[in-house]
Amino acid sequence: MRFIARYAKEFDDFFEIITCYDNEIKKQQIAKENATIKTLSKKYPAAIWFERKIFDDFGIIIEDSFDKRPLLHHERFPKNIHPLQKKFQDKCLQEDIYRAYKYESIQGDGVFEVAVGPIHAGIIEPGHFQFSQAGEDMLHLEVRHFYKNRGIEKMVEGKTLFEARSIIERISGNESIAYQICWRDIVLQASNTQLPVSLQKRHAFFLELERVIHHLSDLGFIPNDAGFGAALAYCSKLAEDARRKMQEFSGHRFGFGAINFENSFIDTVFTKEWLHNLREDIEKFQEWIIDVPSLWDRLDTTGVLPLKKAIKYSCVGVVARASGVAVDRRINPFYFENGFELVTEVSGDVGARFKVRLSEIKNSITMMKNFLEEDETKCTLDPIKDGEYSSFVESSIGELFMSVDIQEGQITRFFVRDPSFMNWQALHIMMQKDIIADFPLINKSCDLSYAGNDL
Amino acid sequence: MIKFWNKRLKLGLLTENLYLDEDLKKIKKEIKSQIKKKFAGSLAIRMVDSGSCNACEAECNALSNPYYNLERLGIYFVASPRHADVMLISGLMTFNMTPHVKEAYEQIPAPKWVISMGDCPVMEGVFDKTYAINAPVKNYLPVAHHIKGCPPSPRKIMEGLLEFLRKIE
Repeated sequence: MRFIARYAKEFDDFFEIITCYDNEIKKQQIAKENATIKTLSKKYPAAIWFERKIFDDFGIIIEDSFDKRPLLHHERFPKNIHPLQKKFQDKCLQEDIYRAYKYESIQGDGVFEVAVGPIHAGIIEPGHFQFSQAGEDMLHLEVRHFYKNRGIEKMVEGKTLFEARSIIERISGNESIAYQICWRDIVLQASNTQLPVSLQKRHAFFLELERVIHHLSDLGFIPNDAGFGAALAYCSKLAEDARRKMQEFSGHRFGFGAINFENSFIDTVFTKEWLHNLREDIEKFQEWIIDVPSLWDRLDTTGVLPLKKAIKYSCVGVVARASGVAVDRRINPFYFENGFELVTEVSGDVGARFKVRLSEIKNSITMMKNFLEEDETKCTLDPIKDGEYSSFVESSIGELFMSVDIQEGQITRFFVRDPSFMNWQALHIMMQKDIIADFPLINKSCDLSYAGNDL
Repeated sequence: MIKFWNKRLKLGLLTENLYLDEDLKKIKKEIKSQIKKKFAGSLAIRMVDSGSCNACEAECNALSNPYYNLERLGIYFVASPRHADVMLISGLMTFNMTPHVKEAYEQIPAPKWVISMGDCPVMEGVFDKTYAINAPVKNYLPVAHHIKGCPPSPRKIMEGLLEFLRKIE
């Protein structure tokens, strides 16, 4: 069984703990007085962040956990506040006294710690990395995030699905289409509506376009982090072209608002021509980049995530596929009919993640050609019914999971698990045989989201 | 490799927005005060994300792609606040980021300015106020200029930066 997510919900008289696996969902009700649960982290290490989050959000104690440090609540966060409890309605917090966070560290002769972040040297999102070093060798890394925590889960409570839409599409800018499709699936379930195939194809077209943009910018940044800047110039040009196409088709460079229930006209002839040229450009790029030995000297055998660990840590997306795990939410008849091919590698290193992205772009282009239709179908929705709904989408990073509870038309609990939330927890495994100078390269090869992770 | 250089020669120069070069020339002529002379056309920016969706960062990264090529205007992003003239801030100023943003601002040597970008730092975007959000940024930092948009396109960011250069005293 693959572990997917663990989260809590508050009802009038009890808490409910939901544990989601790939083939079943377990629910457990616990009394509100002295609420405690048992940890799953001994079997599924990735459960630990979920459980630390459950404590921070709701105050539910994880009895036998080996790690009871706060996760979302940083040094100055007021004590004894659990913001996702229904009774908490404050819109403002006062900074408390500074309570130092105890980082995981390795003791020993000559072992020292390097603290990196939360503000990094490039134009990237904030997060903290704490290294235990023996000279240049990384002995251990602790990833500490949630600097960007905006309280999204609380923000959408009390809104209708349609009011929450513009917030949901901006949870993570790089994965906006994926979040919108998750939202769409929940709307469709709640209104008991069948989506016409033509709309399904248009939405899938946008999702693949988002993947192409995201992968292209990574294909530039990964070699750039290994000192090969020409690749960045080449790929960032292609990424910009693709982003302009997104603007042309959806009216927004990041596709905000792209997923709706009516199709607008897309010129298939010009679009196919662009896709054809893009494919040629990527093939040229591949021919060129594969032939640069000094680059592959850096990419190969760096940042290895062994298959066993990828499974143990319930990794998803590009990171998992590069280690040989066949996990992809696009494994279904709709995608196979339109030319989907699962891409995996075996070595699990930076080079493997690079190659997975390269192959996935080419596959996405094939699918986009098949998804393309000149079509102006509209779909009318029935009224939204109350209930508990959940959906999955394969975003450009990996499997995205969203769950929404609706009562009297309003959202009472919103939970989303970004693929990054899983993969961040496996990042330290990839560091164990490398030197600290390889860290930016390894981190970029995974290209995880901070915003989607922190919520 | 030869194929790559062939393609490179065929493509030629991709940079757009060449009108901005003219703009910058004009600005340089207009500039009289010492400070303006020091910084106009050579602006070091420290970009800080205080809790955005990453779209603003993606657009700032796009500024260095061949189409926009921002550095030709003498405006560039630096790695440390201690090398910066300007803090470019995006995002909602989350509760957890606030102390770090303030610290980064303190590290910038004077004279220094803050430019905010995107709808988040001014709370004009789609996000509602929650316990975890401290925006608007102006309650914490002296914001000299704001670049609108969700996110502002690279061209809008470039124009916004030049507009700021015109404005500084």
